[in-house]
Amino acid sequence: MMFEFDNGIAEQLTEISLNSAIQVRCGNSNAFMVTASTIVPLMQKFEMGGIYISASRGAVEIIQAFETIGVDVSTIHFIDLVSSGILGGTDVPYDNITFIDSPIMLESILLSTLYRLRTTDNPRNFVFIDSVNALAIYNEEKMLAEYLHTFINTFRQREVLTVILNIPDQVPPSVLSNLDLYCTDLIDRGQVVIH
Amino acid sequence: MQPSTEYSRDRCVTGVHGLDEILRGGIPYGSTVLVAGTCGSGKTTLGMEFLVRGATTGEACAHFTATEPSVKLLENIRQFSFFDMKMIDSGLINVFDMDVLYSWLGLEKASFDLQDVYALIKAIVDIVNTIGVTRLVIDSVTTLCYKIKSDQLIRDFLFTLGKKLATLGCTTLLIAEITSATANAHWSSFGVEEAIADGIVVMGDVERMGHLLRYLQVVKMRGTQHSRAKYAIELTPLGVMLTPMLKWGALNDRTGSWGN
Repeated sequence: MMFEFDNGIAEQLTEISLNSAIQVRCGNSNAFMVTASTIVPLMQKFEMGGIYISASRGAVEIIQAFETIGVDVSTIHFIDLVSSGILGGTDVPYDNITFIDSPIMLESILLSTLYRLRTTDNPRNFVFIDSVNALAIYNEEKMLAEYLHTFINTFRQREVLTVILNIPDQVPPSVLSNLDLYCTDLIDRGQVVIH
Repeated sequence: MQPSTEYSRDRCVTGVHGLDEILRGGIPYGSTVLVAGTCGSGKTTLGMEFLVRGATTGEACAHFTATEPSVKLLENIRQFSFFDMKMIDSGLINVFDMDVLYSWLGLEKASFDLQDVYALIKAIVDIVNTIGVTRLVIDSVTTLCYKIKSDQLIRDFLFTLGKKLATLGCTTLLIAEITSATANAHWSSFGVEEAIADGIVVMGDVERMGHLLRYLQVVKMRGTQHSRAKYAIELTPLGVMLTPMLKWGALNDRTGSWGN
């Protein structure tokens, strides 16, 4: 079956300002479609490199999902917050993955992202957080709100585009309202119609 | 424009990512800084980076190692992507085993007296002077001080050493091992190192829900306004990297007191 991208997202991404932050809202059932529809234009249309922070699923699973739809993500570096919690989860055939012990190591995630950005050759980069919901499982609400504030401002200052995926009806209200405040753009695919 | 009335000392720019920002420009030249930390907190790595960054800008650097053989230390320096073996070959980075130095000085004994201490200071200062060292690391001053039995002698040793090195324009990091980095802890094993140091940098771990997060905090630095906040650190091939610790994290974080 042919994978269908949401072309409306690519159309919305007509102009990318590197010091901006995009909040991407999705639903439970369309998360990967929205993710792919956001990342592929950034990689192909804007020739950006990037860091993908995977908190909802292991990086290998995400890489393979992209491979299944014919998208090469070898130029993206993955920071995997999930697989260290599974014995044997870090024994993987990909060298573009960094493993962090746990999603509670928020500062380590930020530093690993900064490190990876310092080693990349591409001058135009994005940082994609997948997802606020997964981070909210492990982190207290105020701490997560503080973290996102720090995170967005850190990368805005460094002219790195921040893209934050969330399923709004499962995100703590204060985190969501802060995201609304910090993010400069919104891609809203949170309302999913199930046929 | 009004001339600035603020007096600012020249700085030794450490080159460590984020640290110079915390120190508002670097360590004031000629300072003796105590880097106190628990095991595995990154003290030695910080010290090595301090030297390699100095060598990168052409400064002569020396490392006195009492905790691990120089060969092992050099192997660890190679992890830095900005390290070049030429720094060793050209004499910009000089590593000395304290055991070898003791042997040269005939100090192969269990404890040092006043005369021994002054012989040791003279040897270190002579080396610094001869090579023209501007960055020095002693790792660790704790191991070295184990041989000095009286607190007064330790105080004399560190004070005299610091004074002489400062006169030579040498900025020194004294690495100290501590077993606890809690609020009530001393920043040194003997309780005297911290009193004579111009600056104190504390390194340790905070435990967050069973995971250890390294941190660094500048507790004191004479001659500069500086941040006294806690910073999370990561040890990377690009050196030590820092970011402020999350304020709300402090609610759940526990500062390590390993070995107590």
